[in-house]
Amino acid sequence: MQAGNGIKVIVTMIGLDGHTTGGEVVAMILRDAGFEVVYLGVNQTPRMIIDAAIQEDVDVIGISSHASNYGQIEELVDLARANGLDDMLIVVGGNIPREPAQHLLAKGVHKIFLPGSSGATIVEYLSTEARGARKSAPATRRSGAGNADQGRM
Amino acid sequence: MKRETDYGYAIKPVYTPADVAGLDYEKDLGHPGSFPYTRGYHESGYRTRMWTQRMTAGLGSSKQANGVLKKYREMGQRGGMCVISDRVFSHCIDPDHPLGRKEAGVLGWPGCSLLEFEELMDGIPLTGQSITLLGSSAPTVMRLAYVVALAHKRGIDPSEIHGSVMESPFENYFGQTDVQPFDLNLKLWLDASEYVVRNKIRMRSSVISQHFQESGGNNAQAVAVVLSMYKELCGKLVRERGLDFDDAALVPYELVSIGTRFFEEIAKVRALRRMWARIARDEFKAKTEKACQMLIAVHTSGRTMTYQQPLNNIARCAIQSLAGAMVGCTAMDNATMDNAYAEPSALAARMSLNTQHIVAHETGVADVVDPLAGSYFVEALTNEVEQEATKILNKIDELGGLIAAIDKGYIQEMLRDEANKKFIEMDKKDRLIVGVNHLEIPPEEDFEIPIQKLHPGDSEAIAERMAKWKPTRDQDLLKARIQQLYTDAQKGDRFNLMPSIVEAVEAYATSGEVIGTIRKARGLNYDPFNVIECPFALH
Ligand code: B12
Repeated sequence: MQAGNGIKVIVTMIGLDGHTTGGEVVAMILRDAGFEVVYLGVNQTPRMIIDAAIQEDVDVIGISSHASNYGQIEELVDLARANGLDDMLIVVGGNIPREPAQHLLAKGVHKIFLPGSSGATIVEYLSTEARGARKSAPATRRSGAGNADQGRM
Repeated sequence: MKRETDYGYAIKPVYTPADVAGLDYEKDLGHPGSFPYTRGYHESGYRTRMWTQRMTAGLGSSKQANGVLKKYREMGQRGGMCVISDRVFSHCIDPDHPLGRKEAGVLGWPGCSLLEFEELMDGIPLTGQSITLLGSSAPTVMRLAYVVALAHKRGIDPSEIHGSVMESPFENYFGQTDVQPFDLNLKLWLDASEYVVRNKIRMRSSVISQHFQESGGNNAQAVAVVLSMYKELCGKLVRERGLDFDDAALVPYELVSIGTRFFEEIAKVRALRRMWARIARDEFKAKTEKACQMLIAVHTSGRTMTYQQPLNNIARCAIQSLAGAMVGCTAMDNATMDNAYAEPSALAARMSLNTQHIVAHETGVADVVDPLAGSYFVEALTNEVEQEATKILNKIDELGGLIAAIDKGYIQEMLRDEANKKFIEMDKKDRLIVGVNHLEIPPEEDFEIPIQKLHPGDSEAIAERMAKWKPTRDQDLLKARIQQLYTDAQKGDRFNLMPSIVEAVEAYATSGEVIGTIRKARGLNYDPFNVIECPFALH
């Protein structure tokens, strides 16, 4: 059985950020590992992403972030809560300095994947921590807020 | 470990005369200054003219960016200034747009009106240095209009200004995105290009492989893609705008991304010069030497800059700058050691600029033209990258040119596959990156460099300033100029909008207003994001 079986993930950019390579690479990694990927692309507001998450009933929202527009990621976290998506796994990847990374984790983002993150790290984390993974395997460890992954291979 | 070029050709342990058998010095290389310019355009290289050593500015408000530009001048950057726009101006909406409010001035200069340009250029000369304004394609006409308008205000003949403020519509497909449709960007690019040629303004347009390559493309693909852009755009200027090819060919300049594959980077640029020279002469029947000489600036690759052990990036930047100097470029800008983190800190910017000065003044590399010519390896690589690029170029031609190839998805697929391949090669350690997949250290042990801090309040302040300033403009004049633009924009694609855009900009129309008005005349929503309404009653 493939790692991603049954897990549905949104991969998207946020705000006016048009850096797509990281998100597209991650979409490829996840698809190859058996995840179902809903790729939203560019020019997505927090509202649009949350609407898509509800409509597509995904297990993970993955933001590819290269534009320092962290305020909109925070908005997304708030919106997720306001919409009752309390068990939605929210992860962020991209060029995020340590300070804002800590800040986002404190805000409720579950995990930050920094540049250089290996495919294996991403697949392993999502396949054990996603809502879908817990649905099928309730005993799995969900260790609360994660930390920034340095992408060591 | 892979021992092959980044486009997949095997690399041998040793190269001999057999690898360059048949190479004809006169025909294939030419003396520096002679066709096909493989060795460059000047017989005495940098002794005639040193490359422009520049750093890119733009962050926060226009006044802040002005401060940085002045600082760079103090640091020895006199030959040219380079400013890159924020995401708001790049999309051609305004800071007071609900989506603009959150990102104005965050990743660049919020240049959404002539007022911003006036503040940016306060106390900085328009002449005597090259003026480069970067960003996406959509604001091309705005940036050009600012330069013309400010020149008028300062009593300078625009033809005395040189630099580059236009950007090719293709960059939108290669990561330098904006929300405007391709046909609109193309039309406006042609308008701006025709305008500079007819008015003898020495402004260039970036038509570049850098975005493509930084998005993950390989060296051969980058060569093919930039050549196909040149062919498509120069061809249109000739066929659709009636320009002489020899004038049209002076509009574009190429910005090449130089990565860490030292010899391959050098070979790439040499091949590029040779290939363009032949295309210009044979396909376009160029009459002048200049039209056969692709103007090439260098950007040292940001993509190779790692988050892990950022001081290592200083070494990468130095190697790339050396390669960039060896290829014989007209200008160079560097990615900084903190590239994988945030906008450059003052320290990192100074480091990078100094790296160029070290290469220029301490290594002796600037004393000799094309120092690697005749190297069996480099000449073989030059031939190979040309061979591979020619294959791709032929394929693009077969599909009907670059626009057709993009319509068919060929280019996007090629780029996506290559970006994925690059990642997989790294993931599998087929290519080693020190600190990332080789010789890693725990983050706690990593050296922390200073990181340029964000001031989230800045965006709101920029937005508020614009919202309050807009009603203070001469409303009658503004409305009249916008109406004129609206009328002109309905006159068809070949009707040049530059004159009416300059007039609107002189009345302080903003980027959102100018492009929104043109959009409306073309039957599109005023607001590309469909959030705000058109504030003008147009008829
Ligand atoms: C390539 C690049 C570009 C390309 C865009 C390519 C593209 N199509 O995406 C080009 C040259 C066009 C470009 C343009 C710009 N860029 Co740029 N760009 C980069 C660069 C060099 C590399 C990013 C990249 O693609 N890496 C390769 C991918 C595979 O790696 P990655 O994105 O890090 O992804 C990995 C992880 O982060 C993680 N990950 C990423 N996303 C996700 C998502 C999920 C769900 C998960 C689980 C994991 C994950 O996993 C991936 C695999 O390991 C970075 C700096 C750097 N060295 O990283 C700057 C950088 C992101 N760019 C920057 C800027 C400012 C811009 C511009 C705004 C410049 C301007 N003013 O116009 C423009 C705007 C582009 C736009 N449309 O928005 C800044 C952003 C600064 C900031 N955040 O404060 C950076 C950091 C460089 C810098 N220091 O100046 N850029």
